[in-house]
Amino acid sequence: MARGDDKPTPRRAIPSVSAAAAAAGDAGRAASFGQLSMAQETGLDLLTELRFMELALEQARFALENLEVPVGCVIVEDEKVIASGSNCTSATRNATRHAEMEAIDTLLEEWQKIGLSQSEVAEKFSRCDLYVTCEPCIMCATALSILGVGKVFYGCANDKFGGCGSVLSLHESASEKLSRGDLQAKSFKCTGGLMSEEAVALFRNFYEQGNPNAPKPHRPVQMLQSTE
Amino acid sequence: MTGTLKWEIVHVPGEPEVSLEVSTVNVFASKIEPKLANKIARQLNQVCPLENLRHVKRVRKRTVEGNVELSVILCLSDEYEKDAEAIPRGIHQLISDYNLCPYDEKVAKYAARSKEEWEEQCKLWPTSYHPPTNLDGVAGLSEGELQLIFNYMKVVIQLTKLSYTGGKVLNAAIIVDPISRQVIASANDQTCPWPATYETSAGYSCNDGCGVTIASHESNLNGLQNSLEISVQNFQLDICGDVCAGVSCLNPWGWTAQKQSSESSSLKSQSKHTWHPLRHAAIVAIENAAKRDRQLFPGPGSSESESTPKGNSLCADNCPAKRQKIQEHSMVKEVADNREPTEVMRPYLCTGFDIYLVWEPCTMCAMALVHQRIRRIFFALPNPNAGALGSVYRLQGEKRPQEIFVLRFDTVKSVTEPKILYFGSRRFKTHFRFLICVAKNSIW
Repeated sequence: MARGDDKPTPRRAIPSVSAAAAAAGDAGRAASFGQLSMAQETGLDLLTELRFMELALEQARFALENLEVPVGCVIVEDEKVIASGSNCTSATRNATRHAEMEAIDTLLEEWQKIGLSQSEVAEKFSRCDLYVTCEPCIMCATALSILGVGKVFYGCANDKFGGCGSVLSLHESASEKLSRGDLQAKSFKCTGGLMSEEAVALFRNFYEQGNPNAPKPHRPVQMLQSTE
Repeated sequence: MTGTLKWEIVHVPGEPEVSLEVSTVNVFASKIEPKLANKIARQLNQVCPLENLRHVKRVRKRTVEGNVELSVILCLSDEYEKDAEAIPRGIHQLISDYNLCPYDEKVAKYAARSKEEWEEQCKLWPTSYHPPTNLDGVAGLSEGELQLIFNYMKVVIQLTKLSYTGGKVLNAAIIVDPISRQVIASANDQTCPWPATYETSAGYSCNDGCGVTIASHESNLNGLQNSLEISVQNFQLDICGDVCAGVSCLNPWGWTAQKQSSESSSLKSQSKHTWHPLRHAAIVAIENAAKRDRQLFPGPGSSESESTPKGNSLCADNCPAKRQKIQEHSMVKEVADNREPTEVMRPYLCTGFDIYLVWEPCTMCAMALVHQRIRRIFFALPNPNAGALGSVYRLQGEKRPQEIFVLRFDTVKSVTEPKILYFGSRRFKTHFRFLICVAKNSIW
């Protein structure tokens, strides 16, 4: 459902992941609904958006409980959650198993089981919105463009690997660069900053508890991180 | 046929240096008494460490008219521009304790990636420079390494050729441990429905459905090479034209146009759940590598049983712990004398491994390879549609994820067919442009 005002999301200062890493050890800020005042260009009811982001955060908390990097997402069709996913890169030892990929795979499997064709699946994805607690990385942003999802809402920015504005802007740019007309890269509308404080707080928890799966010379587990 | 191939490897560098003007940060500096230098520097490192400027030296020494003159960086100035009150209290203390007179300086924002860049930076304020070890393009590769690289590239091209059925060709990938010379994983694109015979299990999460599985021994590789010679006599990579439309990274958005083609009669009916728009060769290869990792090193609490085969080719000489010692010089290492794979030897993801691809990866695959800590990427042909390593994007040069891309993301482009070599000059750039030109006009 593309709306007329398809201008790119303004780059406001969205709290980012590495801010959480740097601040680990600080007293965690209380989670707040600080984004309530945020201007909404999408036309969707803000409370609805917050409700879905809260469900994505729930997924992120689930990841944290499993000592995974706390990112979660839900995929919404017609205002109903049809899939959810949480990061499971540690358990799988596959660093590409981001929350988005998990949720997408659920849907692909489900839709193929009921016999949908490629074009039907593409049509389904175009009606879906994704709510994810952290800006999709370059890999996931490309994936979302490949699938042609409708809209993406994210919490905090991903200033190291973000593919929706932080490092690359794959949600809006790809098609013009293609050399062949029929290879249209699909752009999608992307809104950041939705409940970003909560998303960052989860990262902060994660960095404080340490990542036992990280390679040896990494941040020690269970030690209070000095601000260096 | 493959015996006649000539090879050349060309390094694809990161972005050419950004001019210093746009990549500096402002700092407050002050002249200091040389004999107080140690004391002040120590205090400064406590009250105001330069977190993101580790490459910048705190103290600058200059000789002005025969006198040694020392200056020190107090703190970043940008964030205090409007609000001098916000300067950390410890800095104010130091300023008053030692009668310092802060003034503005500019320092380089990023660590230098070349000697030239470093020299340029030092004109502003001294920085440190660590030349990349052995990742510095092609020049650092030994003759033996080159031979290995060529061999692996041949293998991956043959994997592609093997997939050449029904008039379509697929991208192929192999992940290789260059130290132990093992093939860790291999894969073909799986975006289209693929023959059920290739598949060993259903579902996506840890399926072993790579088109062809290469066992992790050199001898098997040779066997594979021989068997391939027969099946793909008249296949030519560079004139493939429309057959390339099936290469996922070349045509990432093309999956919706796929038809359940008539060839699908060769697919068994239960395999209709086997297309996936995101299962590009690199992604599948990573998945297979992760699966191997879980099997070889079942972690604590893992439900997978200790299924480590005896006589595994992992031995003390090439165990990952040792490899990390060689390659990740900053790491704290332990070398196990134990010959069975243990947790200590368990690699972290694909740290230190190389990947070989026929076509340059798209942004999704390239980022995935960075996530998985792949060390070097070798590819044979550029991807003018969506290539992320020089053709459309240049991820290895992206400034912000710099420490990842520059250290781990050494991209080497190898040119495979003598026919292509014949046209271009031997210099990469010309050659590369030629390829793109051809691509636009006829091939793609």
